[in-house]
Amino acid sequence: MILGLLGLYFSLSLVVFPSIYLSKEELKPQPFFDVQISSNSIKIGQSFDIHIFSQNIGDYGDIHILSVGFPSLEKIDEQIKIQNYDFNHQYKIINKDTMLGAEYSAGIKKTASEYALIEIMNRPSPAKGHYTLDLSVTPKNLGIFEIYVKTIEIPHTSDLAHFPRQGLQDPQNEYVAVYSVMVNP
Amino acid sequence: MFVNRKFHLKSKHVFLIGTLLINLGILLVTIGGSWDITNHLLNKPETFVSLPHGVMYSGVALSLIGILVSFTGWRKTENNQSFKISLKISLIGISLLLGAGPIDFFWHSIFGLDGLLSPPHMTLIIGMILTSTGGMIGLIRYNILRTNNNFFSILIIICGLLPIWLASSGMISSLSLPFSNTDFFNFNPEPFTAVIIATIGYPFLISFFLITSYNLSQNRFGIISLLGGLFLIIYGSTAILPNFVMAETILFYSTNAIALLVTDYVVSRSNYKHASYIGAGILGSIFYMFYYPYIMYTYNELLLGRLVSPSSIYSIYFELILTVFFITIIPAVISALAGCYFSKQIHSKMIQF
Repeated sequence: MILGLLGLYFSLSLVVFPSIYLSKEELKPQPFFDVQISSNSIKIGQSFDIHIFSQNIGDYGDIHILSVGFPSLEKIDEQIKIQNYDFNHQYKIINKDTMLGAEYSAGIKKTASEYALIEIMNRPSPAKGHYTLDLSVTPKNLGIFEIYVKTIEIPHTSDLAHFPRQGLQDPQNEYVAVYSVMVNP
Repeated sequence: MFVNRKFHLKSKHVFLIGTLLINLGILLVTIGGSWDITNHLLNKPETFVSLPHGVMYSGVALSLIGILVSFTGWRKTENNQSFKISLKISLIGISLLLGAGPIDFFWHSIFGLDGLLSPPHMTLIIGMILTSTGGMIGLIRYNILRTNNNFFSILIIICGLLPIWLASSGMISSLSLPFSNTDFFNFNPEPFTAVIIATIGYPFLISFFLITSYNLSQNRFGIISLLGGLFLIIYGSTAILPNFVMAETILFYSTNAIALLVTDYVVSRSNYKHASYIGAGILGSIFYMFYYPYIMYTYNELLLGRLVSPSSIYSIYFELILTVFFITIIPAVISALAGCYFSKQIHSKMIQF
Protein backbone atom coordinates (compact mmCIF):
# COMPACT_ATOMS: atom_id res chain seq x y z
CA MET A 1 0.00 0.00 0.00
CA ILE A 2 2.71 2.47 1.11
CA LEU A 3 5.04 1.45 -1.70
CA GLY A 4 2.13 1.70 -4.11
CA LEU A 5 1.37 5.26 -3.01
CA LEU A 6 5.02 6.21 -3.22
CA GLY A 7 5.19 4.68 -6.71
CA LEU A 8 2.08 6.63 -7.68
CA TYR A 9 3.61 9.86 -6.37
CA PHE A 10 6.88 9.46 -8.26
CA SER A 11 5.09 8.32 -11.44
CA LEU A 12 2.82 11.36 -11.35
CA SER A 13 5.56 13.82 -10.43
CA LEU A 14 8.38 12.58 -12.62
CA VAL A 15 6.58 11.11 -15.63
CA VAL A 16 2.87 11.83 -16.01
CA PHE A 17 2.64 15.55 -15.17
CA PRO A 18 5.88 16.54 -16.91
CA SER A 19 4.76 14.88 -20.15
CA ILE A 20 1.33 16.54 -19.91
CA TYR A 21 2.74 20.01 -19.30
CA LEU A 22 5.57 19.68 -21.81
CA SER A 23 3.13 18.61 -24.54
CA LYS A 24 1.22 21.87 -24.21
CA GLU A 25 1.56 24.23 -27.13
CA GLU A 26 3.99 27.07 -26.56
CA LEU A 27 2.37 30.48 -26.02
CA LYS A 28 2.80 32.86 -28.92
CA PRO A 29 2.31 36.49 -27.93
CA GLN A 30 2.06 38.78 -30.96
CA PRO A 31 2.47 42.55 -30.81
CA PHE A 32 0.99 45.07 -33.19
CA PHE A 33 0.77 48.85 -33.27
CA ASP A 34 -0.91 51.66 -35.11
CA VAL A 35 0.66 55.12 -35.33
CA GLN A 36 -1.17 58.35 -36.02
CA ILE A 37 0.74 61.57 -36.67
CA SER A 38 -1.17 64.85 -36.55
CA SER A 39 0.61 66.34 -39.57
CA ASN A 40 3.22 65.14 -42.03
CA SER A 41 4.42 68.64 -42.82
CA ILE A 42 4.96 71.49 -40.37
CA LYS A 43 6.76 74.80 -40.18
CA ILE A 44 9.85 75.15 -37.99
CA GLY A 45 8.84 76.02 -34.45
CA GLN A 46 5.52 74.22 -34.77
CA SER A 47 4.71 70.93 -33.02
CA PHE A 48 3.12 67.71 -34.17
CA ASP A 49 1.54 64.94 -32.11
CA ILE A 50 2.22 61.22 -32.26
CA HIS A 51 -0.44 58.82 -30.99
CA ILE A 52 0.66 55.19 -30.74
CA PHE A 53 -1.83 52.42 -30.05
CA SER A 54 0.06 49.24 -29.19
CA GLN A 55 -1.45 45.86 -28.43
CA ASN A 56 -0.88 42.14 -27.99
CA ILE A 57 -3.03 40.35 -30.56
CA GLY A 58 -1.61 36.92 -29.72
CA ASP A 59 -1.38 34.74 -26.61
CA TYR A 60 -0.48 35.80 -23.10
CA GLY A 61 3.04 37.21 -22.84
CA ASP A 62 5.30 38.32 -20.03
CA ILE A 63 6.33 41.76 -21.28
CA HIS A 64 5.06 44.06 -24.02
CA ILE A 65 7.74 46.58 -25.03
CA LEU A 66 7.22 49.62 -27.24
CA SER A 67 10.22 51.53 -28.50
CA VAL A 68 10.14 54.92 -30.22
CA GLY A 69 13.43 56.10 -31.72
CA PHE A 70 14.47 59.53 -33.00
CA PRO A 71 17.43 59.01 -35.36
CA SER A 72 18.13 62.74 -35.62
CA LEU A 73 18.46 63.22 -31.84
CA GLU A 74 21.31 62.27 -29.52
CA LYS A 75 19.23 62.82 -26.41
CA ILE A 76 15.63 63.37 -25.47
CA ASP A 77 15.41 67.11 -24.82
CA GLU A 78 12.71 69.77 -24.95
CA GLN A 79 11.91 68.76 -28.55
CA ILE A 80 10.08 65.66 -27.27
CA LYS A 81 7.29 65.80 -24.70
CA ILE A 82 5.54 62.73 -23.33
CA GLN A 83 1.92 63.80 -23.10
CA ASN A 84 0.22 60.67 -21.92
CA TYR A 85 0.59 56.89 -21.54
CA ASP A 86 -1.30 54.01 -19.96
CA PHE A 87 1.40 51.35 -19.85
CA ASN A 88 1.78 50.02 -16.29
CA HIS A 89 5.48 50.90 -16.23
CA GLN A 90 7.21 54.23 -16.34
CA TYR A 91 8.82 55.13 -19.69
CA LYS A 92 12.58 54.99 -19.96
CA ILE A 93 14.58 57.67 -21.74
CA ILE A 94 17.59 56.31 -23.57
CA ASN A 95 20.20 58.65 -24.92
CA LYS A 96 22.90 57.91 -27.48
CA ASP A 97 25.67 55.46 -26.44
CA THR A 98 23.56 53.59 -23.91
CA MET A 99 23.90 49.78 -23.94
CA LEU A 100 20.70 48.14 -25.16
CA GLY A 101 19.48 44.62 -25.84
CA ALA A 102 19.78 43.57 -29.46
CA GLU A 103 18.51 40.97 -31.93
CA TYR A 104 15.42 40.15 -29.88
CA SER A 105 17.66 38.39 -27.35
CA ALA A 106 15.98 39.84 -24.22
CA GLY A 107 19.22 41.49 -23.21
CA ILE A 108 21.66 38.64 -23.82
CA LYS A 109 23.12 40.39 -26.87
CA LYS A 110 23.81 44.06 -26.44
CA THR A 111 24.72 47.03 -28.55
CA ALA A 112 25.18 50.76 -27.98
CA SER A 113 22.33 53.04 -28.98
CA GLU A 114 23.15 55.37 -31.89
CA TYR A 115 20.37 57.86 -31.21
CA ALA A 116 17.80 58.79 -28.59
CA LEU A 117 14.86 56.50 -27.82
CA ILE A 118 11.91 56.18 -25.51
CA GLU A 119 11.11 52.67 -24.25
CA ILE A 120 8.03 51.74 -22.34
CA MET A 121 6.63 48.40 -21.25
CA ASN A 122 3.65 46.63 -19.78
CA ARG A 123 4.13 43.61 -17.49
CA PRO A 124 2.60 41.10 -17.90
CA SER A 125 1.11 41.29 -21.38
CA PRO A 126 -2.30 39.63 -21.40
CA ALA A 127 -3.91 38.57 -24.67
CA LYS A 128 -5.78 41.49 -26.26
CA GLY A 129 -4.07 43.92 -23.88
CA HIS A 130 -3.73 47.36 -25.46
CA TYR A 131 -1.88 50.52 -24.48
CA THR A 132 -1.33 54.03 -25.76
CA LEU A 133 1.54 56.48 -25.80
CA ASP A 134 1.08 60.12 -26.82
CA LEU A 135 4.00 62.34 -27.68
CA SER A 136 4.36 65.91 -28.82
CA VAL A 137 7.36 66.80 -30.98
CA THR A 138 8.75 70.24 -31.76
CA PRO A 139 11.71 69.76 -34.12
CA LYS A 140 14.55 72.28 -33.96
CA ASN A 141 16.01 71.60 -37.39
CA LEU A 142 14.74 71.89 -40.90
CA GLY A 143 14.31 68.87 -43.14
CA ILE A 144 12.92 65.42 -42.56
CA PHE A 145 12.29 64.44 -38.94
CA GLU A 146 12.15 60.63 -38.69
CA ILE A 147 10.58 58.43 -36.04
CA TYR A 148 11.31 54.70 -35.68
CA VAL A 149 8.69 52.57 -33.93
CA LYS A 150 8.79 48.88 -32.95
CA THR A 151 7.21 46.52 -30.42
CA ILE A 152 8.49 43.28 -28.95
CA GLU A 153 6.82 40.63 -26.83
CA ILE A 154 8.79 38.66 -24.26
CA PRO A 155 9.17 35.71 -24.43
CA HIS A 156 10.35 36.16 -27.98
CA THR A 157 9.41 32.68 -29.11
CA SER A 158 9.07 33.31 -32.84
CA ASP A 159 9.05 35.99 -35.53
CA LEU A 160 5.48 36.69 -34.50
CA ALA A 161 6.80 38.15 -31.24
CA HIS A 162 7.96 41.39 -32.84
CA PHE A 163 6.37 44.02 -35.05
CA PRO A 164 7.10 45.07 -37.72
CA ARG A 165 8.46 41.82 -39.12
CA GLN A 166 10.18 43.29 -42.13
CA GLY A 167 11.55 46.56 -43.47
CA LEU A 168 14.34 48.69 -42.10
CA GLN A 169 16.58 47.26 -39.37
CA ASP A 170 17.77 49.60 -36.63
CA PRO A 171 21.24 49.47 -34.96
CA GLN A 172 19.84 46.80 -32.59
CA ASN A 173 19.24 44.60 -35.64
CA GLU A 174 15.52 44.77 -35.03
CA TYR A 175 12.86 45.81 -37.49
CA VAL A 176 11.34 49.27 -37.21
CA ALA A 177 8.49 51.08 -38.93
CA VAL A 178 9.65 54.47 -40.19
CA TYR A 179 7.47 57.60 -40.00
CA SER A 180 8.55 61.04 -41.12
CA VAL A 181 7.45 64.64 -40.90
CA MET A 182 8.79 67.39 -43.16
CA VAL A 183 9.92 70.47 -41.24
CA ASN A 184 9.70 73.51 -43.50
CA PRO A 185 11.19 77.03 -43.12
CA MET B 1 -2.14 31.67 47.42
CA PHE B 2 -4.85 30.55 45.01
CA VAL B 3 -5.21 34.11 43.67
CA ASN B 4 -1.43 34.34 43.22
CA ARG B 5 -1.29 31.08 41.20
CA LYS B 6 -4.22 32.20 39.09
CA PHE B 7 -2.44 35.49 38.44
CA HIS B 8 0.74 33.72 37.30
CA LEU B 9 -1.25 31.36 35.09
CA LYS B 10 -2.92 34.37 33.50
CA SER B 11 0.47 36.04 32.97
CA LYS B 12 1.73 32.88 31.32
CA HIS B 13 -1.27 32.94 29.00
CA VAL B 14 -0.48 36.56 28.13
CA PHE B 15 3.08 35.49 27.36
CA LEU B 16 1.75 32.69 25.14
CA ILE B 17 -0.60 35.04 23.26
CA GLY B 18 2.32 37.42 22.68
CA THR B 19 4.52 34.62 21.41
CA LEU B 20 1.76 33.39 19.09
CA LEU B 21 1.45 36.93 17.71
CA ILE B 22 5.22 37.09 17.18
CA ASN B 23 5.19 33.95 15.09
CA LEU B 24 1.97 34.79 13.24
CA GLY B 25 3.62 38.10 12.37
CA ILE B 26 6.68 36.34 10.97
CA LEU B 27 4.37 33.97 9.10
CA LEU B 28 2.84 37.06 7.44
CA VAL B 29 6.33 38.37 6.63
CA THR B 30 7.28 35.07 4.96
CA ILE B 31 4.00 34.91 3.02
CA GLY B 32 4.52 38.51 1.88
CA GLY B 33 8.14 37.71 1.01
CA SER B 34 7.25 34.74 -1.17
CA TRP B 35 4.52 36.78 -2.86
CA ASP B 36 6.99 39.63 -3.34
CA ILE B 37 9.39 37.37 -5.27
CA THR B 38 6.53 36.39 -7.60
CA ASN B 39 5.49 40.03 -7.91
CA HIS B 40 9.03 41.05 -8.87
CA LEU B 41 9.23 38.31 -11.50
CA LEU B 42 5.82 39.02 -13.03
CA ASN B 43 5.38 42.75 -12.66
CA LYS B 44 8.80 44.15 -11.79
CA PRO B 45 7.33 46.79 -9.47
CA GLU B 46 9.07 50.14 -9.72
CA THR B 47 8.33 51.51 -6.27
CA PHE B 48 8.79 50.40 -2.68
CA VAL B 49 5.04 50.64 -2.14
CA SER B 50 3.39 47.35 -3.11
CA LEU B 51 0.83 44.97 -1.67
CA PRO B 52 3.37 42.20 -0.82
CA HIS B 53 5.53 44.78 0.97
CA GLY B 54 2.38 45.86 2.83
CA VAL B 55 1.78 42.27 3.99
CA MET B 56 5.41 41.94 5.04
CA TYR B 57 5.51 45.09 7.09
CA SER B 58 2.10 44.34 8.65
CA GLY B 59 3.73 41.10 9.80
CA VAL B 60 6.61 43.05 11.31
CA ALA B 61 4.11 45.27 13.14
CA LEU B 62 2.21 42.21 14.43
CA SER B 63 5.46 40.65 15.66
CA LEU B 64 6.37 43.87 17.41
CA ILE B 65 3.00 43.93 19.19
CA GLY B 66 3.58 40.26 20.04
CA ILE B 67 6.93 41.07 21.64
CA LEU B 68 5.40 43.83 23.75
CA VAL B 69 2.55 41.54 24.86
CA SER B 70 4.85 38.62 25.65
CA PHE B 71 7.22 40.94 27.55
CA THR B 72 4.30 42.14 29.68
CA GLY B 73 3.27 38.53 30.37
CA TRP B 74 6.84 37.41 30.99
CA ARG B 75 7.51 40.07 33.66
CA LYS B 76 4.61 38.84 35.76
CA THR B 77 5.24 35.13 35.29
CA GLU B 78 6.85 33.08 38.05
CA ASN B 79 9.87 31.02 36.91
CA ASN B 80 10.19 33.49 34.06
CA GLN B 81 13.86 32.55 33.53
CA SER B 82 12.77 29.61 31.37
CA PHE B 83 11.21 32.01 28.88
CA LYS B 84 13.95 34.63 29.03
CA ILE B 85 16.01 33.18 26.19
CA SER B 86 12.93 33.13 23.98
CA LEU B 87 12.34 36.85 24.53
CA LYS B 88 16.01 37.73 24.13
CA ILE B 89 16.29 36.03 20.73
CA SER B 90 12.99 37.53 19.56
CA LEU B 91 14.13 41.00 20.63
CA ILE B 92 17.36 40.74 18.64
CA GLY B 93 15.35 39.45 15.68
CA ILE B 94 12.73 42.18 15.80
CA SER B 95 15.45 44.83 16.06
CA LEU B 96 16.92 43.53 12.82
CA LEU B 97 13.47 43.41 11.22
CA LEU B 98 12.75 46.98 12.23
CA GLY B 99 16.14 48.06 10.98
CA ALA B 100 15.59 46.25 7.66
CA GLY B 101 12.64 48.48 6.71
CA PRO B 102 14.54 51.81 6.57
CA ILE B 103 17.61 50.08 5.08
CA ASP B 104 15.38 48.55 2.35
CA PHE B 105 13.75 51.92 1.63
CA PHE B 106 17.15 53.63 1.55
CA TRP B 107 18.53 50.90 -0.77
CA HIS B 108 15.54 51.23 -3.15
CA SER B 109 15.99 55.00 -3.20
CA ILE B 110 19.71 54.90 -3.98
CA PHE B 111 20.08 51.77 -6.14
CA GLY B 112 16.57 51.26 -7.48
CA LEU B 113 15.27 47.73 -7.70
CA ASP B 114 17.27 45.38 -5.49
CA GLY B 115 17.87 41.68 -6.02
CA LEU B 116 16.86 38.82 -3.75
CA LEU B 117 20.24 38.77 -2.06
CA SER B 118 21.02 42.24 -0.78
CA PRO B 119 22.05 43.73 2.59
CA PRO B 120 18.48 44.86 3.49
CA HIS B 121 16.99 41.50 2.49
CA MET B 122 19.63 39.55 4.45
CA THR B 123 18.94 41.73 7.48
CA LEU B 124 15.25 40.99 7.03
CA ILE B 125 15.73 37.22 6.66
CA ILE B 126 18.11 36.92 9.61
CA GLY B 127 15.67 39.01 11.66
CA MET B 128 12.81 36.72 10.62
CA ILE B 129 14.74 33.58 11.54
CA LEU B 130 15.80 34.96 14.94
CA THR B 131 12.38 36.37 15.83
CA SER B 132 10.58 33.17 14.88
CA THR B 133 13.22 31.03 16.61
CA GLY B 134 12.67 33.01 19.79
CA GLY B 135 8.92 32.59 19.33
CA MET B 136 9.33 28.88 18.67
CA ILE B 137 11.37 28.37 21.85
CA GLY B 138 8.73 30.21 23.87
CA LEU B 139 5.88 28.24 22.36
CA ILE B 140 7.58 24.87 22.64
CA ARG B 141 8.62 25.49 26.25
CA TYR B 142 5.09 26.55 27.06
CA ASN B 143 3.75 23.44 25.43
CA ILE B 144 6.10 21.21 27.40
CA LEU B 145 5.24 22.97 30.65
CA ARG B 146 1.48 22.59 30.36
CA THR B 147 -0.77 19.56 30.30
CA ASN B 148 -1.59 18.25 26.88
CA ASN B 149 -4.50 19.39 24.83
CA ASN B 150 -4.43 17.91 21.33
CA PHE B 151 -5.74 20.86 19.34
CA PHE B 152 -3.73 23.37 21.32
CA SER B 153 -0.51 21.37 21.09
CA ILE B 154 -0.84 21.06 17.32
CA LEU B 155 -1.56 24.79 16.98
CA ILE B 156 1.51 25.62 19.04
CA ILE B 157 3.76 23.26 17.08
CA ILE B 158 2.59 24.68 13.77
CA CYS B 159 2.86 28.31 14.87
CA GLY B 160 6.27 27.53 16.30
CA LEU B 161 7.76 25.76 13.31
CA LEU B 162 6.10 27.01 10.12
CA PRO B 163 7.42 30.62 10.20
CA ILE B 164 10.99 29.55 10.91
CA TRP B 165 10.80 26.88 8.20
CA LEU B 166 9.57 29.43 5.65
CA ALA B 167 12.15 32.00 6.78
CA SER B 168 14.97 29.45 6.57
CA SER B 169 13.77 28.43 3.11
CA GLY B 170 13.99 32.12 2.20
CA MET B 171 17.61 32.11 3.32
CA ILE B 172 18.45 29.08 1.14
CA SER B 173 16.61 30.70 -1.79
CA SER B 174 18.54 33.95 -1.35
CA LEU B 175 21.83 32.08 -1.37
CA SER B 176 21.02 29.88 -4.36
CA LEU B 177 18.63 31.64 -6.76
CA PRO B 178 20.11 33.81 -9.50
CA PHE B 179 17.81 36.74 -8.73
CA SER B 180 20.43 39.16 -7.48
CA ASN B 181 21.98 40.76 -10.55
CA THR B 182 20.93 44.41 -10.60
CA ASP B 183 22.13 47.57 -12.36
CA PHE B 184 24.51 48.35 -9.50
CA PHE B 185 25.51 45.00 -8.01
CA ASN B 186 25.76 41.39 -9.06
CA PHE B 187 25.21 39.29 -5.93
CA ASN B 188 24.19 36.20 -7.92
CA PRO B 189 25.76 33.06 -6.42
CA GLU B 190 28.24 31.08 -8.51
CA PRO B 191 26.06 28.42 -10.25
CA PHE B 192 27.82 25.32 -8.93
CA THR B 193 27.91 26.65 -5.38
CA ALA B 194 24.23 27.57 -5.70
CA VAL B 195 23.36 24.00 -6.74
CA ILE B 196 25.25 22.59 -3.75
CA ILE B 197 23.49 24.98 -1.36
CA ALA B 198 20.05 24.08 -2.76
CA THR B 199 20.72 20.33 -2.89
CA ILE B 200 21.88 20.24 0.71
CA GLY B 201 19.82 23.06 2.21
CA TYR B 202 16.27 22.33 1.06
CA PRO B 203 16.17 18.57 1.91
CA PHE B 204 17.72 19.34 5.30
CA LEU B 205 15.01 21.88 6.05
CA ILE B 206 12.09 19.69 4.95
CA SER B 207 13.32 16.76 6.99
CA PHE B 208 14.35 18.81 10.03
CA PHE B 209 11.09 20.69 10.42
CA LEU B 210 8.71 17.84 9.63
CA ILE B 211 10.50 15.31 11.83
CA THR B 212 10.73 17.93 14.61
CA SER B 213 6.98 18.47 14.38
CA TYR B 214 6.47 14.74 14.69
CA ASN B 215 8.76 14.51 17.73
CA LEU B 216 7.16 17.50 19.44
CA SER B 217 3.68 16.12 18.89
CA GLN B 218 4.73 13.00 20.79
CA ASN B 219 4.76 10.85 17.68
CA ARG B 220 1.30 11.71 16.51
CA PHE B 221 0.04 10.70 13.05
CA GLY B 222 -1.07 13.65 10.94
CA ILE B 223 1.24 16.43 12.10
CA ILE B 224 3.70 15.91 9.21
CA SER B 225 0.87 16.07 6.67
CA LEU B 226 -0.65 19.10 8.35
CA LEU B 227 2.53 21.15 8.65
CA GLY B 228 3.79 20.09 5.20
CA GLY B 229 0.34 20.71 3.72
CA LEU B 230 0.27 24.25 5.11
CA PHE B 231 3.68 24.87 3.58
CA LEU B 232 2.34 23.65 0.23
CA ILE B 233 -0.73 25.89 0.50
CA ILE B 234 1.36 28.97 1.29
CA TYR B 235 3.91 28.30 -1.42
CA GLY B 236 1.24 27.30 -3.94
CA SER B 237 -0.82 30.42 -3.35
CA THR B 238 2.11 32.86 -3.39
CA ALA B 239 4.48 31.35 -5.96
CA ILE B 240 2.28 29.38 -8.37
CA LEU B 241 -1.30 30.68 -8.51
CA PRO B 242 -0.41 34.38 -9.10
CA ASN B 243 1.35 33.37 -12.33
CA PHE B 244 -1.46 33.00 -14.88
CA VAL B 245 0.50 30.56 -17.07
CA MET B 246 1.48 28.29 -14.18
CA ALA B 247 -1.84 28.22 -12.35
CA GLU B 248 -2.86 24.83 -13.71
CA THR B 249 0.39 23.22 -12.53
CA ILE B 250 -1.01 23.50 -9.01
CA LEU B 251 -2.33 19.99 -9.64
CA PHE B 252 1.22 18.72 -10.00
CA TYR B 253 2.28 20.61 -6.88
CA SER B 254 -0.63 19.17 -4.89
CA THR B 255 0.63 15.63 -5.42
CA ASN B 256 3.33 16.42 -2.85
CA ALA B 257 0.56 15.81 -0.32
CA ILE B 258 0.78 12.10 -1.23
CA ALA B 259 4.47 12.01 -0.27
CA LEU B 260 3.67 13.81 2.99
CA LEU B 261 0.95 11.31 3.87
CA VAL B 262 3.21 8.37 3.07
CA THR B 263 5.99 9.85 5.23
CA ASP B 264 3.51 10.52 8.02
CA TYR B 265 2.33 6.93 7.92
CA VAL B 266 5.81 5.42 7.70
CA VAL B 267 7.13 7.51 10.59
CA SER B 268 4.19 7.17 12.97
CA ARG B 269 2.77 3.75 12.23
CA SER B 270 5.85 1.69 11.56
CA ASN B 271 7.22 -0.38 14.42
CA TYR B 272 10.74 -0.02 13.07
CA LYS B 273 12.96 1.85 15.52
CA HIS B 274 14.51 4.09 12.88
CA ALA B 275 11.35 4.76 10.90
CA SER B 276 11.99 8.51 11.20
CA TYR B 277 15.08 8.09 9.05
CA ILE B 278 13.10 6.26 6.36
CA GLY B 279 10.59 9.11 6.43
CA ALA B 280 13.41 11.65 6.24
CA GLY B 281 14.82 9.82 3.22
CA ILE B 282 11.47 10.10 1.44
CA LEU B 283 11.27 13.79 2.30
CA GLY B 284 14.79 14.39 1.02
CA SER B 285 14.01 12.77 -2.31
CA ILE B 286 11.07 15.11 -3.01
CA PHE B 287 12.76 18.46 -2.40
CA TYR B 288 12.84 19.47 -6.09
CA MET B 289 9.09 18.89 -6.36
CA PHE B 290 8.40 20.48 -2.98
CA TYR B 291 10.17 23.73 -3.79
CA TYR B 292 8.57 24.07 -7.26
CA PRO B 293 8.82 26.37 -9.20
CA TYR B 294 11.68 28.77 -8.42
CA ILE B 295 14.19 26.06 -7.51
CA MET B 296 14.41 25.43 -11.27
CA TYR B 297 16.36 28.68 -11.76
CA THR B 298 19.25 27.34 -9.67
CA TYR B 299 19.61 24.11 -11.66
CA ASN B 300 18.92 25.80 -15.00
CA GLU B 301 21.91 28.10 -14.44
CA LEU B 302 24.25 25.13 -14.27
CA LEU B 303 22.57 22.52 -16.48
CA LEU B 304 20.87 24.44 -19.31
CA GLY B 305 21.71 28.11 -19.01
CA ARG B 306 18.40 28.87 -20.69
CA LEU B 307 16.92 32.35 -20.61
CA VAL B 308 13.87 32.07 -18.33
CA SER B 309 10.86 34.27 -18.60
CA PRO B 310 7.91 33.93 -16.18
CA SER B 311 5.74 32.09 -18.68
CA SER B 312 8.49 29.58 -19.47
CA ILE B 313 9.29 28.66 -15.85
CA TYR B 314 7.22 25.50 -15.77
CA SER B 315 8.39 24.14 -19.12
CA ILE B 316 12.07 24.46 -18.17
CA TYR B 317 11.27 23.05 -14.73
CA PHE B 318 9.68 19.92 -16.20
CA GLU B 319 12.44 19.59 -18.77
CA LEU B 320 14.91 19.37 -15.89
CA ILE B 321 12.92 17.33 -13.40
CA LEU B 322 14.27 13.84 -14.18
CA THR B 323 17.88 14.98 -14.53
CA VAL B 324 17.78 16.92 -11.27
CA PHE B 325 16.03 14.05 -9.48
CA PHE B 326 18.69 11.52 -10.43
CA ILE B 327 21.76 13.69 -9.90
CA THR B 328 20.61 15.01 -6.53
CA ILE B 329 18.86 12.05 -4.93
CA ILE B 330 21.87 10.69 -3.02
CA PRO B 331 23.15 13.99 -1.53
CA ALA B 332 19.56 15.10 -0.91
CA VAL B 333 18.69 11.94 1.02
CA ILE B 334 21.92 12.15 3.03
CA SER B 335 21.17 15.77 3.85
CA ALA B 336 17.63 14.84 4.91
CA LEU B 337 19.01 12.11 7.16
CA ALA B 338 21.27 14.72 8.74
CA GLY B 339 18.21 16.92 9.21
CA CYS B 340 16.45 14.04 10.98
CA TYR B 341 19.46 13.39 13.22
CA PHE B 342 19.76 17.07 14.07
CA SER B 343 16.04 17.22 14.82
CA LYS B 344 16.33 14.32 17.27
CA GLN B 345 19.26 16.00 19.05
CA ILE B 346 17.36 19.27 19.38
CA HIS B 347 14.28 17.46 20.61
CA SER B 348 16.13 15.51 23.27
CA LYS B 349 17.65 18.79 24.52
CA MET B 350 14.17 20.30 24.71
CA ILE B 351 12.88 17.32 26.66
CA GLN B 352 15.83 17.50 29.06
CA PHE B 353 14.92 21.09 29.75
